[in-house]
Amino acid sequence: MIAHLVAGTKRLLGLHRPGRSLVILPDDVFLVSFPKSGNTWTRFLLANLVHPEQAATFANIHRLIPDPSVTTKREFDRIGRPRIIKSHECFDPRYPRVIYILRDPRDVVLSQYHYHRKLKRLADDSPLEKFVARFLAGETCPHGSWGENVTTWLTSRHNDPRFLLLRYEDMVADPRRELTRVAVFLNMTPDAQRISQAVERSAADQMRKLEKAQSDQSSLTKDSRKDLSFVRAAKSGGWSSELPDSLVEQLEAKWGHIMTFLGYELATSKALSIEPEMVSFMPDKPR
Amino acid sequence: MIGQLKYIVKYALGRDRAGRHFTIFPDDTFLVSYPKSGNTWCRFLLANLLHPNETVGFANINELLPAPGISSKRFLKKLPRPRILKSHEPFDVRFRKVIYLVRDPRDVAVSEYHFDLKKHYIDPSVTLEQYVKRFVAGETASYGSWWEHVASWVATRQGSSSFLLVRYEDLLANSIEETGRIAKFLGIQARPESLQAAVDRSSANRMRKLEQQQSEQWSGTKNTRKEIPFVRAAKSGGWKESLSPQSVEEIESAWYPLLNLLGYELQNRALDSTATPGWVRRQPVS
Repeated sequence: MIAHLVAGTKRLLGLHRPGRSLVILPDDVFLVSFPKSGNTWTRFLLANLVHPEQAATFANIHRLIPDPSVTTKREFDRIGRPRIIKSHECFDPRYPRVIYILRDPRDVVLSQYHYHRKLKRLADDSPLEKFVARFLAGETCPHGSWGENVTTWLTSRHNDPRFLLLRYEDMVADPRRELTRVAVFLNMTPDAQRISQAVERSAADQMRKLEKAQSDQSSLTKDSRKDLSFVRAAKSGGWSSELPDSLVEQLEAKWGHIMTFLGYELATSKALSIEPEMVSFMPDKPR
Repeated sequence: MIGQLKYIVKYALGRDRAGRHFTIFPDDTFLVSYPKSGNTWCRFLLANLLHPNETVGFANINELLPAPGISSKRFLKKLPRPRILKSHEPFDVRFRKVIYLVRDPRDVAVSEYHFDLKKHYIDPSVTLEQYVKRFVAGETASYGSWWEHVASWVATRQGSSSFLLVRYEDLLANSIEETGRIAKFLGIQARPESLQAAVDRSSANRMRKLEQQQSEQWSGTKNTRKEIPFVRAAKSGGWKESLSPQSVEEIESAWYPLLNLLGYELQNRALDSTATPGWVRRQPVS
C-alpha cells in the first residue's frame, strides 16, 4: 500500500519511468534489438547523427535516444519530435516505425555472458554451458529468447517499408554505408561529412574512453564491476574461437533455420536444413 | 490533475484495469486470439466445463473466465490458481501456457466490421470494402494486423508442448472433440457427458438468448447498438456471401502463406497453395 502510494505520487510528478505505458506518437521511431546486439553503439551512432551539436556520451544518451525503462516521464516530455526511442521488446504493434538490429546469436550469448558477470549476476567461474542452456530457454533476460525476439519482428514486419533491418556484422564491416541507410530511413539527407563525424564520435575507442570517465553516470554500467568493460571487443565472429563446438551446435540446432535465413553461415551439420522452395518470412505486401 | 489523482487512488488500491500490467504466475493459462475469432464462445465453453453448477452468462463471464483488459489488478490477484485468462495480445513472452484460437481472416474481417458498427467504432457509412482495406493494413484493431498477431504466436510457439493451436472452424465442426483437446491441454479429465453439456450450454442459440437478457451487464455489449447482435451467425465461410471478390483478393494476396499454413483454402488459385512462411520448422522442436 505504502509502496503503491509512493509509486502513485511519483507518477503524479512525472518521476516514474513509463516503460510499456509510454504514450507512443505516430512519428516515433523505435530502435529495437535483443540485448547485447549492438543497441548502445547504434544509439550513439544515431544520437551523433541526429544531434551533431553535442557528442553523445554515457551521461546524456538516455535523453538523446530515450529508453522507456530508464528515462523518466518528465524527461520524455521535453524530448523534441520526432523521437528515436530505444527498446528491447518483442513485437509491439504500436511501434509505428522500427530499426531492428540483429546480431549473430553465437556472439550475442558470449556478450551477454560477459555482461552478466560485469553486473555481478554471474560469478566468474559460472560455467558457460549453463549460461548457454538458459540463453536457449530465453531465461537470461525478460525479452524472450533470441529466437523469439527476432522471429516476432521478422514475421510481422519484414519487407515492410516501416521496418529497417540492420545486421551488427554489416555495421562493423562498413558503418558509414549502414548509417547512410539509417539516414535515408529517417528521411534525412545522408550528408557524408555528418555521417563520418557520427561514426568517429561513436568509435569503440572513443566509447571506451567515455565509459571509463562516466561509468557511474549510466544505468548500463552503474554499480557494476569496473574490472570488466561494457564496451568489449566490438567485433564480430568472436564465437569461433571462444565458444566450444558443442555449444555452437546447440545454438545452431535450435535456431539454424532463422540464422540461415538471415545469412549467418552455420558451422555444424546438425542444424536444420532449409528447403529452398520455402518462401521468405513475409510476402511482398501490396502496400 | 483531478483525473490523475483519481487514477493514483485507484492505482494505490489496485482497482485500476490491469491491462498488460499485472503479475503473471507460472501456472497461468492464457486463452489468446485476434479479436472476433471465437474467443467469447471459447470462454463460455471453458467456463461451462469448469463450473458445471453455475449458470454461465454474459453477466458473469468476466468473473468466471476473466480478461485482464477489463478486470482490476486486485481482482486478478485474488483469483484461485491456476488461472485461465482471456487475452487479445500479440506475442507476450510472459505468457507461458497458451491456447491460441485462430479463425479464417476472411470471416474475421466480416465479423469485426459488424462488431465495430455495433460498438459505434466506425461510422455506419463505412462500407465493408473500405473496411477490409483498413483491416489488411492492421488499422482496425489495436493488437496489430491479423497476420502480425497470428505470426507472432505461431512462429514462436508452434510445436511447443505449452502451446495449443485451435482453429475456430474445427471447434465449430467438432465441438466436443476440440473442447476435449483443450480440456486435456488444461489437465482436466472431462467425461464425454461433461463435454457435451458444456457444448450444449454454450450453443449459439443459448448465447443469443443470454445476450438479449444481459447485454447491459457485460463490458462487450454495454451501450452498443442493440439492433446488431453480438452473437451473429456463429458459422464459418460466411465471407463467401458477404465479401466482394476485390476484398477476398486483398486478404488472400497479403496473407496467403499463412492461410496455406493454417489450411484455409484460397479462392485465388493463381496464388501458390504450397507456399508457406519461411519460419516454419520442418523438424519438431527438440
